[in-house]
Amino acid sequence: MSEFSILVVDDEEEFVATLVQRLRKRGWASEGVLSGGAAIARVAASDFGVILLDMRLPDMDGGQVLQEIKKIRPTSRVVILTGHASASEGEEGIKNGAFDYLLKPVEFETLLEKLEAARNRGP
Amino acid sequence: MTFFLDRLTSFFHGKPRLTPAELQAAFRGHYKEFRALLTANNNALELMAEMEQALTAGHPFGMAFVRGNCTALSVNIYKMIQHLTRLADGKYTELDQPFRAITKQLEQVIASRLVSTEGRTILPMTEVDASTVDQVGEKMANLGEVRNRVGLRTPDGFVITASAARQFIEANNLQVEINRRLKGLDLDNLEALYTVSAGIQSLISNAPLPAELEEAILSHHQQLDTGTQTELLVALRSSALGEDSSNVSFAGQYRTQLNVSREFVTQAYKEIVAGKYKSQAIVYRQQRGYRNQDVQMCVGCLRMVDAAISGVLYSRAPDDPRSPFVIIQAAPGLASTVVDGSAASEQLRVSRTAPHSILHRQAATEQSQSLTDNQGAELATTGVRLEEHFGTPQDIEWSIDQSGQLYILQSRPLGRTLSGETQETIETSAPTDGLPPPILRGGVCASQGVGYGPVFTVRSSLDLLRFPKGAVLVIETPYPDWASLLNRAVAVVSETGQMAAHLATVAREFRIPAIFGLNQALATLKNGHLITVDATAGKVYGGRVESLLALAAPKPNLMAGSPVYKILTQALVHITPLNLTDPASPFFRAEGCQTLHDLTRFCHEKAVVEMFTFGERYGFDDKAAKQLVVENSPAQWWVIDLDDGFAPDFDPESRYVYLGHIASVPMQAIWQGMVAFPWGGPPPVSLGGLGSIIFQSTKNPSLDPAVRSAMASKNYFLISKNFCNLSVRLGYHFALVEANLGEFLTENYVSFQFKGGAADENRRLLRIRLISEILTESGFRVEQKVDAMTARIEKKPTPFLLERLRVLGYLLIHTRQIDMVMADEGMAASYRQKIMADLLTLMDTKTEGRHDPGT
Repeated sequence: MSEFSILVVDDEEEFVATLVQRLRKRGWASEGVLSGGAAIARVAASDFGVILLDMRLPDMDGGQVLQEIKKIRPTSRVVILTGHASASEGEEGIKNGAFDYLLKPVEFETLLEKLEAARNRGP
Repeated sequence: MTFFLDRLTSFFHGKPRLTPAELQAAFRGHYKEFRALLTANNNALELMAEMEQALTAGHPFGMAFVRGNCTALSVNIYKMIQHLTRLADGKYTELDQPFRAITKQLEQVIASRLVSTEGRTILPMTEVDASTVDQVGEKMANLGEVRNRVGLRTPDGFVITASAARQFIEANNLQVEINRRLKGLDLDNLEALYTVSAGIQSLISNAPLPAELEEAILSHHQQLDTGTQTELLVALRSSALGEDSSNVSFAGQYRTQLNVSREFVTQAYKEIVAGKYKSQAIVYRQQRGYRNQDVQMCVGCLRMVDAAISGVLYSRAPDDPRSPFVIIQAAPGLASTVVDGSAASEQLRVSRTAPHSILHRQAATEQSQSLTDNQGAELATTGVRLEEHFGTPQDIEWSIDQSGQLYILQSRPLGRTLSGETQETIETSAPTDGLPPPILRGGVCASQGVGYGPVFTVRSSLDLLRFPKGAVLVIETPYPDWASLLNRAVAVVSETGQMAAHLATVAREFRIPAIFGLNQALATLKNGHLITVDATAGKVYGGRVESLLALAAPKPNLMAGSPVYKILTQALVHITPLNLTDPASPFFRAEGCQTLHDLTRFCHEKAVVEMFTFGERYGFDDKAAKQLVVENSPAQWWVIDLDDGFAPDFDPESRYVYLGHIASVPMQAIWQGMVAFPWGGPPPVSLGGLGSIIFQSTKNPSLDPAVRSAMASKNYFLISKNFCNLSVRLGYHFALVEANLGEFLTENYVSFQFKGGAADENRRLLRIRLISEILTESGFRVEQKVDAMTARIEKKPTPFLLERLRVLGYLLIHTRQIDMVMADEGMAASYRQKIMADLLTLMDTKTEGRHDPGT
């Protein structure tokens, strides 16, 4: 995949649908999945520019998903986007290679800034 | 216990004779009720004090505090009534009526709705003005005034009203769940705060809009589309009810969504309604005394202005309401870049009077001038007009579109750094001599003041979660989102930003010193570094600079005037005033209780009276009493143990008890007073010393017609470890002393009743007056009725009461002789002098049975 694209991983279907739609509207290629397993499968198949990862998923722990993603694609940029604020979970995520840690609900414009920052950092 | 009470009550006048076990059970039952009542009384008084303190302390409190305290108070007073009724064998049930009446009034106050949510779900901007504030919120009502009353240009649009938000929340039945999640939330626990906030917002954002409302929004949106080729984009602006009132800015607490296209309008609307529960908004409401139901989220949906240049306009300097100039901050593009602090802006000072000349212009870094002189003058005119219309200095957001037309986006009262009277800056008022060289200087004063603490840099959400209380918040950009940290920060230092940033407005409101636009802040200030921030002078010092901190202004009472503050004030009307002050007054009745305080006063007073009469009400089997063995004492002193009045090694089968077995603290004190001084009076009573007097008085019934039998001359102590009731008939007098020295101050009391017989009226009055004077001087509350008196003292520490018990012990022995020897006032004065001298010694001395009666 040559285009810089976004994978939204979250079990809230409405949230995923809206965010993907908004990102597309602003010119970002994006898609969403609702589980950790699906996220790992998609990452194995495609190289996403940024993966927005919720920490509470129905099938797997977000931290575990992060580690699996980093194993498959060590350079991928994973932005943790969680509604369950936890400094220790955030620190653990950053230690395991997360690019950033954001708290829900993130302002859309702030999210776009983060995506720009990730894209500008280069591969 | 009921058995005994029934039995006791039926024999009330006849005084049933109880066995020792029955008597002890009765006492324990009464004492348990009494103590429970006093505990409830204690709790109630503490709750009242806490609520009164909340009004003056200025610390934040929410409705949970008001509701919780009122409930706890009502529960404690209900308990007091129950305990009193049981203590008094079923009396005082009439208290139920005032209790119900007062608590009903309280409930009405607490449940009061301050927000009107009735009306239409959508109002076009053409119909919006100040009169519609309850439907559209203050921000939009003000904008409606700007458009429809002042006649200035504002973007076309409509407002989705408070009624719409209420319908949305109710249709999804969300409020119960929201309240459940907020209940008991500890705002100091940032992780919990953010998690709960995110959860509630998700709940609202994901709920479906009622179909009718969705159609109405989209239909009004459609009407804004003029059919031009470019896609219609709107801004959705929060306009909370209560927002933008004169002292409360709510600046940046709620959401605004810009450049929203049609397919996202309803989602954006839901997100703005959800924004009511942003973490900083939850904290802010709590800090400022707003209940969640005080805020209803109205949303303005306005056509986006194709802005060439935008900014903020203050009709006066924020720190000087008399300034002769307006302040304008401007940056290319949308106004949001100025207010969120993300763009460097140009700053102008423009004269308020025609021809509105530019007094000062400070360009943004290396930027060319963005605002023309004419535009500056037009803005100044606008600022003055809006200030005149609203009657107070204004904080205005504006945009100039590509064709040069000025649009007003918002106008609200200008929050100030300080009141107009305290303008002097610290730099000019503080001695600069002796100050260390600052480690940083420059920037703009976003909020005046001085703060000291350790540096904590916040760059990410993760840092935000770890921000410690009492630290200096150091940031690169003053995003509004950092506002949730302002209740924890002692000062703010930002590398970028201007005084117009929302964060600056909130910092001014909370009086948190803040310097914005301070170069090199992040590079210079490292985490943990202790610094003093002098925001007024724009300087940062290493370490603590006492001379500057001493000048820091006291924090304002942020709660004053807020809805929660008002509700607490109204609630206290039914709680704290004390109308029942005088127990002797005919209005000291259950029906006279107008407040909860009255009820506590009444219950406490009556409970003490009921306990006082314990000894009077219950007769006892003689076998319960043990005779006190006092060598050579001709008087009979009998002791009845009600609970734990005897030492553990006392043999309960014994008919006698020695002083060494008496574990009752108050009895020991009375006894010490009785034996402290031998009688040193004149001849008629000096024969054979004190023992003889007592002997004579107790053994010779003919001295007093009230003393008719040998039994009546027995003097009884009813005791427990902390309780003592002493009935004394000595010669002419009947006296009753009762004392309780408990764990809590509210349990403590000493009472004394005295009635004398024999002698002529004049002597009796002189005697009573003398005793009254002595007891009043000792701190008793004395009531005198002819030749009978009662004296009481309550809620004093145990050592204080023990001294008074020694005084009473002394008086029991010594005053009984007074009227025998006291022929006139002159003699009374001389005995008074002698007694006072003795008492002074007695209260100073640890008396340890210096004399026994009869020795």
